[in-house]
Amino acid sequence: MSDYRKVSFDRIVTPYLAEGFALAQWLSGNRADAEDIFQEACLRAFRGIDSYAGGSARAWVLSIVRRTAYSWLASNRSPSLVAIDDLSANECAYAEQGGSGDIVSSATPEAALIAKADAARLNAAIGALPVTFRETFVLRDMQGLDYREIAEVTGVPVGTVMSRLARARHRLMMTIGTQQP
Amino acid sequence: MTPSLNIANAADGDALLIHAYVDGELDPANAAAVGRTIAADPALTAEVARIEALRRVIHEQLPPAPLPAHLRAKIAATIGERSERTQPSWRQLAASVALAVALGSGATWLALSSWHAPMSTSADRISVAMIDGHIRSLKAAQRVDVASSDRHTVKPWFNGRIPQSPEVVDLAQDGYPLAGGRVDVINTAPVATLVYGRRLHVISLTAIPDASPPQDPTVRRSIKGYNLVHWSHGGVAYWAASDLNTAELIVFANLFHRAASGS
Repeated sequence: MSDYRKVSFDRIVTPYLAEGFALAQWLSGNRADAEDIFQEACLRAFRGIDSYAGGSARAWVLSIVRRTAYSWLASNRSPSLVAIDDLSANECAYAEQGGSGDIVSSATPEAALIAKADAARLNAAIGALPVTFRETFVLRDMQGLDYREIAEVTGVPVGTVMSRLARARHRLMMTIGTQQP
Repeated sequence: MTPSLNIANAADGDALLIHAYVDGELDPANAAAVGRTIAADPALTAEVARIEALRRVIHEQLPPAPLPAHLRAKIAATIGERSERTQPSWRQLAASVALAVALGSGATWLALSSWHAPMSTSADRISVAMIDGHIRSLKAAQRVDVASSDRHTVKPWFNGRIPQSPEVVDLAQDGYPLAGGRVDVINTAPVATLVYGRRLHVISLTAIPDASPPQDPTVRRSIKGYNLVHWSHGGVAYWAASDLNTAELIVFANLFHRAASGS
């Protein structure tokens, strides 16, 4: 029985371990927490392997890592770091104001500056994004999931994925693509 | 997916559609319409350049890291010893390839098909399957599953859909623009097919992980006006099917081969 589970785990989860750990790092913001979260997520995936019902194994695995990260952070870290619901609410209000206004604002980011950003600057800029924007951005631009998979992992409609992604990219472009004061 | 946004009068929808366009998430008809809108508007063109610059710099500066060995070991210990055994060992693989080679003619082919069905396929059947796949795609409403001329969109799209993402190179400068990619099925296994253009011709390039030695591009078959060129490089067997003449198809193969080995 558990042998069968191990085989399933290897087939379904193992191919996405590296991505899962990367997501845990982006969500927790530090490596030590990410290791704890990741190990717990793997255990959850192993125990719940029978609940995998086909579809994108990758989305299934990453959604477990994501849920584990939020519950782990909620019980081990200060709530201010993890106020996902508040952030969602904020962001909804934000998105409803109409998104594209700031895209044509006076400070226009430059592609050439964006292209010159180094790893430290990118890390800092991505880390500073609100967590819902950050996870959407990481899943799309770092891990290459399509919109439908991101919707599945983050549990929101595709339209929300699109607006979060556009806002995340816009903020990053503003941060790294305009001249530093 | 097809976002139900009206590009003509939705300012916010515009922004979202541009991202969807860059991400290869629009169907071909919408992609073409949005592409024209972008080309006609310098502000949108600049926005696309910024989004692409962001993606490129992320790709270069923050490439995916492998799972640290100590974590892999911890997971393996937690879950059990099994994780060591997922992939067939090198020896098993070599044995199955050797068996396939010994069993039939057309060694290259069998080496590649041995992954799934060592004894039941022949060179002819795979050639025909490649050309069939190409023709089917020409008849389909959508000849690609991901429509994009950006290799940084097409390559990651394959992640999670097939075991190994193919090399994707940009040959637009040489007159072979990338049009997108799709998943084909050969011998019951999903494989990556890239779609390139040449004037009005379409080239389907299928990449299959393969243990056979490197081989320069050669014409394998010509069936009913469709040509098939095959080569192997870096552990991958490539099959290019098109109604393009064999000379230009070989040129394409050499360009791809050179660009893929360079990158």
